[in-house]
Amino acid sequence: MIALIQNELMKIFGKMASWIYMVIIVLAVLVAGIIYMKFSADPNPNWRQDTQAEITMLENQMASASEEEKLMLQEQIDQTQEMLDKNINPTVKTNWHFMNDVVIGVSSLVTLFVVVVGSANVAAEFSDGTIKQLLIRPHRRWSILLSKYIAVIIYGLLLVLTLIVSGYLIGLVLFGSGDFNMKIFEVTLEGRKEAVVGTQFFLKMLYYIPSLLMIMTIAFMLSTLFKSQALAVGVGIFVLFFSSTLGGIILMLADKYTWAKFLIFPHLDLTVYALQERILEDITFPVSISILAVYYAIFMMVTFFFFQKRDISI
Amino acid sequence: MSQFALEVKSLTKKIGRKTIVDDVSFEVERGEIFGLLGPNGAGKTTIIRMIVSLINRTDGNVLVNGHDLDDSFTEAMNELGAIVENPEFYKYLSGYKNLRHYARMALSDITEDRLNEVTKLVGLEEAIHDKVRTYSLGMRQRLGVAQAILHKPSILILDEPTNGLDPQGIREFRDYLRLLASQGTSVLVSSHLLSEMQLMCDRFAIIEQGKLIHISNMHENESSEAKVLRTIEVEVSNSELAVKLLGEQMPEVKMASTEGARISLSIEKEQIPVVNKLFVENGIDVYEILNVKATLEDRFLEITNKDKKEQMV
Repeated sequence: MIALIQNELMKIFGKMASWIYMVIIVLAVLVAGIIYMKFSADPNPNWRQDTQAEITMLENQMASASEEEKLMLQEQIDQTQEMLDKNINPTVKTNWHFMNDVVIGVSSLVTLFVVVVGSANVAAEFSDGTIKQLLIRPHRRWSILLSKYIAVIIYGLLLVLTLIVSGYLIGLVLFGSGDFNMKIFEVTLEGRKEAVVGTQFFLKMLYYIPSLLMIMTIAFMLSTLFKSQALAVGVGIFVLFFSSTLGGIILMLADKYTWAKFLIFPHLDLTVYALQERILEDITFPVSISILAVYYAIFMMVTFFFFQKRDISI
Repeated sequence: MSQFALEVKSLTKKIGRKTIVDDVSFEVERGEIFGLLGPNGAGKTTIIRMIVSLINRTDGNVLVNGHDLDDSFTEAMNELGAIVENPEFYKYLSGYKNLRHYARMALSDITEDRLNEVTKLVGLEEAIHDKVRTYSLGMRQRLGVAQAILHKPSILILDEPTNGLDPQGIREFRDYLRLLASQGTSVLVSSHLLSEMQLMCDRFAIIEQGKLIHISNMHENESSEAKVLRTIEVEVSNSELAVKLLGEQMPEVKMASTEGARISLSIEKEQIPVVNKLFVENGIDVYEILNVKATLEDRFLEITNKDKKEQMV
């Protein structure tokens, strides 16, 4: 098995594209870093005075406001006061803030490249005809497919590592070394949540991995079933960019139809659980991950079953 | 060790209600080059793909060096090397890396020395570290042979190996096969090119419409039994007189055709000098007496036609 995985890695890294994707991720982080530096407000060393002034101004407005406006203003004052109380500077920018706010966003690119590499890995064997030479070896078909799957996972994790390391280093150069344990406020649907910036980043990364694995598995399955890279990549990209939209629509339907909750889309992006406890009244992280696990098992079984049975006649 | 390098027992493939391969059985002996002959679409490729387990068998067994594909898959597959149609490689890798790739997949450890030895055997030392993308078709074919024999298989299986090769390439290829067979590797080769098979094989099976209709030894054709009628061609100075003389003096000799100065005769071996003497004594100069071998093509057509006739009756 080790030898098979070694072979698959040799094939992945024998292609120039696999290296280019890695470089693109580093470049994307760099560009995002420069934009983040130029276009967001500079850190304000006198933020306490300014924040205090803002509260005073809001209090002045309250005096002449209607009942409804008063409620809103009061809430704003409370939130701003909380920053002062907890000593959280909203304008501070460190490499950890950069990673938590920006680098996480580049992870879509990682998913995209893993989908491309993962589906090419199987589909190209069919389109180039090399699958014939590959399957006449003293190895069971499932083990050959599994070695491919594992090799793609290894490549995916390498891209994730590239993202984290380049995010940290570029952040370090552009924003300087920050405190891992600095407190921040995250804006969520459930209101504001206090968090530790470094932990929050790694929590999001951890929640990202299952999504990556799921989308990769879908692309891997499609390229194995249909021998078509275009189809696999197309569906992979669709799932990647529209799953949150679709998930939102499905969640709205979930009030009416219970079964809608069990569709895969609302659960694909687990990173929301880094911000909030639940996405629906009764859907929490354990529920989502269990639903994903069931889909994962089905996808894997379908993929391996069909590959084992298929007649190779190209 | 099994007596046969490959045994195929009542191999059958059905797709839907259509029978593609129907109860085909044959054996390939050690060191033998065995041909599968038949027109395109006869089922040769399907048979080969079932043997190398690219296609599922509907029925039947395949034993490679005594290992049954069903019971001991990995052992059986390790005894087998193959090129299925055109040899395909990872074009973005070097020839060497392609070989390493397949070497890693063998059950036994394949050393650096063995890789070099095989590279040398197929004459690719110069180009082995170039990317396969830069190889000519002939070089790819040779790399194909290299990957198939790396692990010293008992049997080499080749599906239409000479497709797309130039005459030079075909000749080289044939020489490799002879060399391998002389070293004890058996070869199973399929082709629709009859003349090619004639030059390559020791024995052959004729496949038609999914059925094995004939197995025969290639050298039966060249049997030297005196009683067997053979076709000879005689070139003479006066063919009209020659034909007249033959008609008068030797009516038992069948004249197949006359073309200018050449006469084709169907004749027994002992009669050849008699005919020669007859001509010479009557003042006809004999320039050439040619033994026309029945080609495989003739044989093939003869057998398949006979079969068709039998079916009609």
